[in-house]
Amino acid sequence: MSDYKEYLSEREQIDRMFEIGYSIENVQENLSGALVMFEKIGSETETLHIKTADARKYFSNLLLQQRQNV
Amino acid sequence: MADLRTNLAGIESPNPFWLASAPPTNSGYQVQRAFEAGWGGAVWKTLGDPILNVSSRFAAVSFNGQRVAGFNNIELITDRPLEVNLQEIYETKKRFPNHTVVVSLMVEPQQEKWHEIVKRVEEVGVDGLELNFGCPHGMAERGMGSASGQVPELVEKQTYWVKEAAQTPVIVKLTPNITDITVTAESAARGGADAISMINTINSLAGVDLDSWNTIPHVGGKGAHGGYCGPAVRPIALNMVGECARSPRINVPISGMGGISNWQNAVEFMLMGASNVQVCTAAMHHGFRIVEDMIDGLNNYLDEKGISSVQDIIGKSVPKYSDWGNLDLNYKIVARINNDVCINCNKCHIACEDTSHQCIDMLKDDHGNSYLEVREEDCVGCNLCSIVCPVDGAIDMVEVGSEHPPMTWNDRQAAIGSLQNPSADPIK
Ligand SMILES: Cc1cc2nc3c(=O)[nH]c(=O)nc-3n(C[C@H](O)[C@H](O)[C@H](O)COP(=O)(O)O)c2cc1C
Ligand code: SF4
Ligand code: SF4
Repeated sequence: MSDYKEYLSEREQIDRMFEIGYSIENVQENLSGALVMFEKIGSETETLHIKTADARKYFSNLLLQQRQNV
Repeated sequence: MADLRTNLAGIESPNPFWLASAPPTNSGYQVQRAFEAGWGGAVWKTLGDPILNVSSRFAAVSFNGQRVAGFNNIELITDRPLEVNLQEIYETKKRFPNHTVVVSLMVEPQQEKWHEIVKRVEEVGVDGLELNFGCPHGMAERGMGSASGQVPELVEKQTYWVKEAAQTPVIVKLTPNITDITVTAESAARGGADAISMINTINSLAGVDLDSWNTIPHVGGKGAHGGYCGPAVRPIALNMVGECARSPRINVPISGMGGISNWQNAVEFMLMGASNVQVCTAAMHHGFRIVEDMIDGLNNYLDEKGISSVQDIIGKSVPKYSDWGNLDLNYKIVARINNDVCINCNKCHIACEDTSHQCIDMLKDDHGNSYLEVREEDCVGCNLCSIVCPVDGAIDMVEVGSEHPPMTWNDRQAAIGSLQNPSADPIK
């Protein structure tokens, strides 16, 4: 998959989490990218492994937005 | 006609162009001819105990047909007695009272030695002093020049000794042969420097002869490292000027030098915080008259921009120079190829395919003619294709808007950090 396609797919997964009411609860960065943990009251925590650089920028932007909306 | 007069820590000059302390300022004859040609000031070849030089002394690095892309020397300070230099300084200043004569000094790191030379030089009437803490060869082996310029405490102490005796402004000339030049710049300021200047030359070996296996230059078959200057060092010098200019801990004016060859280079250094500029290699390569183009070019530039005084450009780019962590991760540019200008040399395609992100496609139009197109979604905006393209205007780097407001690495890390440590989060 091209980097761009992989980014789009990761971006969709991130968008999906927000659409169904999750927000970012924690981020762990490591050699393989970022593990983004999502939380939603009354639900299990979900984790996405985000690998592409553009998607790691993308969730960071959403995280900044999320903090501003608090 | 813009006002080109400058003032560096109280040292006034008819224009910002000074000759740096080096062979062009070795004698009264030379400095007076330079003033006639239009140079606003000169920093006299470094005075101290007269030295002995070797032969040969210089070597240049050519690159792809450009002669003197870089220049290397193993020359030391003046080899003439102090009295001879002082007499010529006196005569020069008498003939050119409105031009600036700063005298470069270097003695052993002892208080009385500095006091003595400062008094004797100031007696003949000079506009300022420059302390040579930068010469990287020969003098350094004797504990002077860059050997003392690399030790922050010695920079501070020697500056302090000079300031004890000096009546005129003191400029401390720094060596680039150090990891972080702001450390020694700060020491100079703490020692009482009125200004700092940079850069002196960078440790170098110009080359090795493939047949004789001698160093270039060599002295009867033996070589020693020299000091590098000229166009090749300009980006290094410009960064060092910028780093000092933006440091909140360094609040003295800067005289910038290192590879300045034309008025455009001079403007860059001034925008990046230099109050004036000094030139050595370009004058050695092309002669004193290059200053005519420098003055005309600077004048026209200021007139075209509607700026009445050259002093108004000093430091204008400094607020734009920051740390990587403050850059906007969301700012994005992409390459766009103008096929009506492109000559189909394929250099950009090869560069992107082999060493960047493989996003310049080779396509064929309806008539079977090849053309190149950038897949913008995969382009990271690295600039490489436009750097290697031999045709002006064939590749534009264009900004594409972002759906998000600016976000720096520092913003991002703070946001992620606050998830892990919510009590430290000012928003939550
Ligand atoms: C041959 C030669 C001799 C130099 N001698 C001195 C010197 O005596 N004192 C000094 O402070 N700098 C000396 N320099 C350094 C220059 O003043 C200047 O800092 C350096 O060359 C960078 O400027 P440029 O790139 O315009 O040449 C010398 C440079 C050259 C090339
Ligand atoms: S800017 Fe970089 S990534 Fe984009 S096309 Fe040019 S070389 Fe490739
Ligand atoms: S390097 Fe420039 S001229 Fe050559 S193919 Fe690319 S765009 Fe065209």
